Amino acid sequence: MAAFKKLTGLLWSLLLLTTLSVQAQTREISGRITDQKDGLPLAGVTVTVKGTSVSTATGADGTFSLKIPSGAKTLVISSVGYAQQEVAVYDNISVSLTVGESALSEVVVVGYGTKIKRDITGSVAKVGAKELGNTPATSFESALQGRAAGVQVEQQNGKLGQGIKVRIRGASSVSAGNEPLYVVDGVPVTTTDLSSNGAQTSPLADLNTNDIESIEVLKDASSAAIYGSQASNGVVLITTKRGKAGKSKIDFGFFSGVQEPTHLRSFMNAQQFVDYSRQAAVGAGKYEYRLGYWNTEQEGIDWWTNYVESRLKRYSAGNDDYKTYKVNTDWQKEAFQPAPITQYDLSLSGGNEKTTFYMAGQYLDQTGIAKNNSLKRYNGRLNIDHKLNNWLSAGMNMAFSRTLNFRVSNDNAFSTPLQSVALSPITPLIDPRTGLISGELDPETGVPNTNYPVYYNPMLSVKGAYYNTFVNRILGNVYGQAQIMKGLSFRTEFGMDQLNQTEEAYYGPITVRNTQYPRGGGFTSADQILNYNTNNFFRYFTKIKEDHDIDVVAGMSYQDQNHFSQGATAESFPSSAYKKLTSAGTKTDATSTETEFSFLSYFSRLNYKFKNRYLLALSGRYDASSRFGPNSRWGFFPAASAGWILSEEKFLADSKWLSFLKVKASYGLTGNAGIGNYPWQGLWTGDGAYASIPGQRPSQLSNPDLKWETTASADFGVEFGIIKNRVTAEVDYYFRDTKDLLLAVEVPGTSGFSSQIRNLGKLNNKGFEFSINSENIVTKNFRWTTNLNFAMNKNTITDLKGQELGIGNVNRAREGQPLGVFVAREFAGADPATGDAIWYKNTKDASGKIDRTPTSDYNEAADVVIGNPNPDFIYGMRNNFNYKGLELDVFIQGVHGNKIYDGGGQYMSASGSNGFDNQTTDQLNAWKNPGDKTMVPEARTFQANGTDPSSRWLYDGSYLRIKQLTLGYNLPKNVLAKIKLERAKVYVRGQNLFTFTNYKGWDPEVNADYQASNINQGVDFYSVPQLRTIIFGVSIGL
Amino acid sequence: MSNNRFKIIGILFIALALFSACTKGLTKNPYASIDESQALLTSSDVESALVGTYAQLCKGYVYGGDIFVYSELLGDDGNIAWSGTYQGMTQIFNKNIPVNNDFVEGTWLASYNTINVANNVLSALDKVTEANRNRVEGGAKFIRGSLLFDLVRLYAKPWNDGSPASNDGVPIILTPTRSITEASYVARNKVSEVYTQVIKDLTEAESLLPADNSFFANKSAAAGMLARVYLQQGDYANAASAADRVINSGSNSLTSDYASAFPYNPNNPNQVVGNTTEDVFAMQVNTTQGVNDFATFFSQAGRGDIEIVPSYFSDYEQNDQRPSQAFYQASGSIYCGKFDMLYGAVHIIRLAEMYLIRGESNFRLAPASPIGGVPAVDDINTIRERAGLAPIADNALTLDKIILERSHELSFEGFKLHDAKRLQKSILGIAWNDPHLIFPIPDREIKVNKNLTQNAGY
Repeated sequence: MAAFKKLTGLLWSLLLLTTLSVQAQTREISGRITDQKDGLPLAGVTVTVKGTSVSTATGADGTFSLKIPSGAKTLVISSVGYAQQEVAVYDNISVSLTVGESALSEVVVVGYGTKIKRDITGSVAKVGAKELGNTPATSFESALQGRAAGVQVEQQNGKLGQGIKVRIRGASSVSAGNEPLYVVDGVPVTTTDLSSNGAQTSPLADLNTNDIESIEVLKDASSAAIYGSQASNGVVLITTKRGKAGKSKIDFGFFSGVQEPTHLRSFMNAQQFVDYSRQAAVGAGKYEYRLGYWNTEQEGIDWWTNYVESRLKRYSAGNDDYKTYKVNTDWQKEAFQPAPITQYDLSLSGGNEKTTFYMAGQYLDQTGIAKNNSLKRYNGRLNIDHKLNNWLSAGMNMAFSRTLNFRVSNDNAFSTPLQSVALSPITPLIDPRTGLISGELDPETGVPNTNYPVYYNPMLSVKGAYYNTFVNRILGNVYGQAQIMKGLSFRTEFGMDQLNQTEEAYYGPITVRNTQYPRGGGFTSADQILNYNTNNFFRYFTKIKEDHDIDVVAGMSYQDQNHFSQGATAESFPSSAYKKLTSAGTKTDATSTETEFSFLSYFSRLNYKFKNRYLLALSGRYDASSRFGPNSRWGFFPAASAGWILSEEKFLADSKWLSFLKVKASYGLTGNAGIGNYPWQGLWTGDGAYASIPGQRPSQLSNPDLKWETTASADFGVEFGIIKNRVTAEVDYYFRDTKDLLLAVEVPGTSGFSSQIRNLGKLNNKGFEFSINSENIVTKNFRWTTNLNFAMNKNTITDLKGQELGIGNVNRAREGQPLGVFVAREFAGADPATGDAIWYKNTKDASGKIDRTPTSDYNEAADVVIGNPNPDFIYGMRNNFNYKGLELDVFIQGVHGNKIYDGGGQYMSASGSNGFDNQTTDQLNAWKNPGDKTMVPEARTFQANGTDPSSRWLYDGSYLRIKQLTLGYNLPKNVLAKIKLERAKVYVRGQNLFTFTNYKGWDPEVNADYQASNINQGVDFYSVPQLRTIIFGVSIGL
Repeated sequence: MSNNRFKIIGILFIALALFSACTKGLTKNPYASIDESQALLTSSDVESALVGTYAQLCKGYVYGGDIFVYSELLGDDGNIAWSGTYQGMTQIFNKNIPVNNDFVEGTWLASYNTINVANNVLSALDKVTEANRNRVEGGAKFIRGSLLFDLVRLYAKPWNDGSPASNDGVPIILTPTRSITEASYVARNKVSEVYTQVIKDLTEAESLLPADNSFFANKSAAAGMLARVYLQQGDYANAASAADRVINSGSNSLTSDYASAFPYNPNNPNQVVGNTTEDVFAMQVNTTQGVNDFATFFSQAGRGDIEIVPSYFSDYEQNDQRPSQAFYQASGSIYCGKFDMLYGAVHIIRLAEMYLIRGESNFRLAPASPIGGVPAVDDINTIRERAGLAPIADNALTLDKIILERSHELSFEGFKLHDAKRLQKSILGIAWNDPHLIFPIPDREIKVNKNLTQNAGY
């Protein structure tokens, strides 16, 4: 046997295995393939004789030679990331390929393999390196936002490395996970939030976005069901970059810039605050007189005025400066800091016919906008592929990262920087009595103040505390692949994701008012997650009699995760110079615990293509998980899909304008096991110690029948291309019905438990999405392309057996409503006669009629649905303009129709009636005199006038953002030649440049981190706004 | 291609091995918890569950203090300035409690959670060694009875309002929950039924518990709680005799001065402080277990949400040491200083209360000869003299003076609301039996369990 010529990655793209020797040969042609953009040779390009399996690949210099059958007329030239071309056969052929992101020949990574886009019958969205690269965002999901139809990405707030919500075609679960499965080069990665400070972090922030070659999002059952029990929320496949045979490449990247809050709110200044507080004192006195607490109105007013004046004096550092508004502190400004960002990238790649490599390193140094927040990250990666002989190849991907996240407290903590807005503008930053930060020292007692400023001053935490989350992570896998015989291969992969996280907190003595550690205190924790998996599968493809293409995958997969964690707390340090627990006088607590889960799966997929136009795909996965009881541990998740490429049919083949048309449909089942470990067991826990004597208590009710949550999905889609595929589009309609919800079902508290995990309830998602890719203008020097995507999703909980989840919060899971719907009293403003807060009763009378009369008795009004945190639709649009070396890229992204509940409103926009919190300026519009018509009730010190949850703080959360705007310049060849560079680019990029919204808070992309959950969405609570970033960058290639 | 055969066989063999290697991994057992079937097998298991009951009892919502702080806030008639940010507490202080108040819900859930652990203990008494069985049973019954008492007086009409036999109380739960069944959807028992169960539990606890039981509930703790229950019912004979049993047990003695009943160490405010000689029953708090929510809300070392208004002190006598020993001024505000140790034991029953109960009851029972043989005036004077006051003459003693003495001695310790109801005193113009002074049944509970009825006024 002369040789089986291996075509490695390109082989995958064509799903063909060919031998050259068996073909009849009549002549040999040669040629050279280059990149149209820069004229450089392209290695690894596949050249195929059309309608045959005769093909080869170009070498490092871009050349190829191919023995072709005598009758061959056309060559098909294709390469990953480039538009496929067909050219007439002639010798010394010279072809230049253009980058073709929308081309139908594009290779798409699917579960356990690849497909070309043309042949896909499911729904898969792909985002490439070009769109993701050099985004000034900590985590790659941010870069994904708005890029793919039906993929909703929402960052909780503007703190670095914090939790990010990703929903693919809506939420499929109420109590189990709603985040997709993330698979990096075949390894399902750990996404467990390990943060201990009440705010989530995103473990995906450890990945280097610039290492990513492409992200494929598997959206429908047909594409995702091969991941079975973990696929209900979609699957995100991340493929990292690999080397190409040919000249070695060195790429260096650098960017640096500044970040700032996208928006600031308007708070009262010193004069407004003093006047308003006095107005509130009068309001309180009058109100209490009305209630009968005082003999005369004046008595009440005097008492409250006295009280308020004494408090104003206290908050004015004990002096009378407040009377002249001498001090006017902008506490909002104090919460923020200048925030530079810098990132360096270096990558080397290349190789030869036998071995290719990609190695890269990155350093990110990002300062957050919130005081004390910063992040440093170091990444390294090495991907190697090697062909041992003509049938065996092996390789390894290995990435390490170290992430140092210097964090701030969760949104609900007095110590989080942005809660400084509650402090009084009359309070000076520096207390003139001590020359120290206000609150740091009470000269009377010699210890920090206990009631000055009005609340704990978060600036004391900036000065005297820290909270560090450090991650060391190794993620990688090794694989071996054997070509057993023509068309049949076996691949085995062993992957590991090892995540080590330590957290360390220190709270100095000046934070005592917040932490209750008079001599300081501290906390450390360490988590080790070892997550390993193996995939072993056969793949067979064959072509029978020209017309039948068959591609079969069958194999197994096993995943096992062990999570060990430990923690310790201690307090009382000899001085604030000592910060490690070893120096602490009292060791207060120590913990260690461990938890595990595993999945065992067998899977198979069959793809059949007839006459290159009729497509069929069947897949199934048989899955078991340790999370379920022996009664129902196994589940089966099948899917089927079919497609018809009409444009291949005779009746359309001659169409001048329609170059491609495919219709497709899919149906299948996927599962969800995204719940905690051991949920089916009746458990006791040994955390019942009392006075240092160990104790135990029941902690969980048993449910041995607990099983998978199952989603049945259908997708109907049309893909078409017009004008030689210059415009391609995909339109999908889908519905997804989820049943047997893994629900934390509320049970009567009298049982001793508050909830139990059961399979109960149903929900569904219905939606419509489309994406359009268009090459609007393509000339020699100018190119304008547009990518547009749009998705609408309607989520409805159809059955919860009458119960409602989330009672006690504003967000609920309620039958007949979308997940997380806002339920509260409907606010009606101020009673024109009294200034009392009023709410619409919204109670049903005997005849079922809704009573819309307002009431000032909160308990008399009924809770009603006041809004939906889920958007009606989301969209993204990218316009890219190239003129010679100049490139302008404008990317807008938006969500529409969702509501935001500003949970901080009950303190900061509360008619000054819920404490001495400084108020937003809209509260100046409070009711003053009978007859006033206003939505702001009368200001009344401490009288809680309308401060209970209601639609008073519900706002429209729609927004449209200039998400990214880039202006770049590629240096021309003649200049490059002089400075001996292959490539060089300089660019200016703006991220979150402008936001158009009616939301009154800081930023409409928000979800208070301390309470974010499946149900709790769209709530703002002193949340740090998103970052507006402007960077300058260079990319240089050797 | 002859080596292909070996390739195929070799790879299939490896594949087969990989395919079958992992089924064992599907069984995972928890590390930090155990299956319920393994929880109550030995005497020590059951005793650990009793300790677990105390741990749940010591949560903030229950005997960590909230359940008593509510009484001071809801019962306040102008002695307190509340400036806290816990909205639920603000609502209680304003006597305008929405049905979804988080504290109302939290206390309900924590109480029944604790009762369930106690019921687990009681269900496994047969596993407990003979020597410890009474002690374990008594402890669980003490906790169950005490919590049912606190629940019924917060969430239902007062004993003395109308007919306790027809007024809805709270559900009585006497068996542990293993699964949720129809029977888990309980209805409310009547007020009188709850009191009957409370007295039964506490009486049995008193007879079962040893006289000395470290800081766990002992005989006196059960008798002391009984005295409190009987007093709330106006059953003065039983109240006096229960209080008398505590006083005569010799387990406790009054501290030399009032301040010593509330230990404070300015040099180490984070010191763990246990019981004083006067604590008949107190919850133990340390840096990791339990919480003292009196300190959280009253102390400047905590949140300092509760300030005392100056006019509060107007009815104290000149020489009374209690204002100066139990209150202090800081930054222009007055705070109650009884709870300034964050890790100090939560005083649940002090011996002083027993003297006041016996004294008041005997005064009311006069001219019958005093139970315990000590005239009412002597008991009141015991308290007065410890506070630095001159004894009161027998003929000068009135019920008002006893009640005033009681309010000074037990100020801000959780008696305010329940005394007002017992004495039928209106609060800031709100009648003692007004629905606003009764907690609603938590909204979540009403929604989850259709068999529960809501209180009037909600």
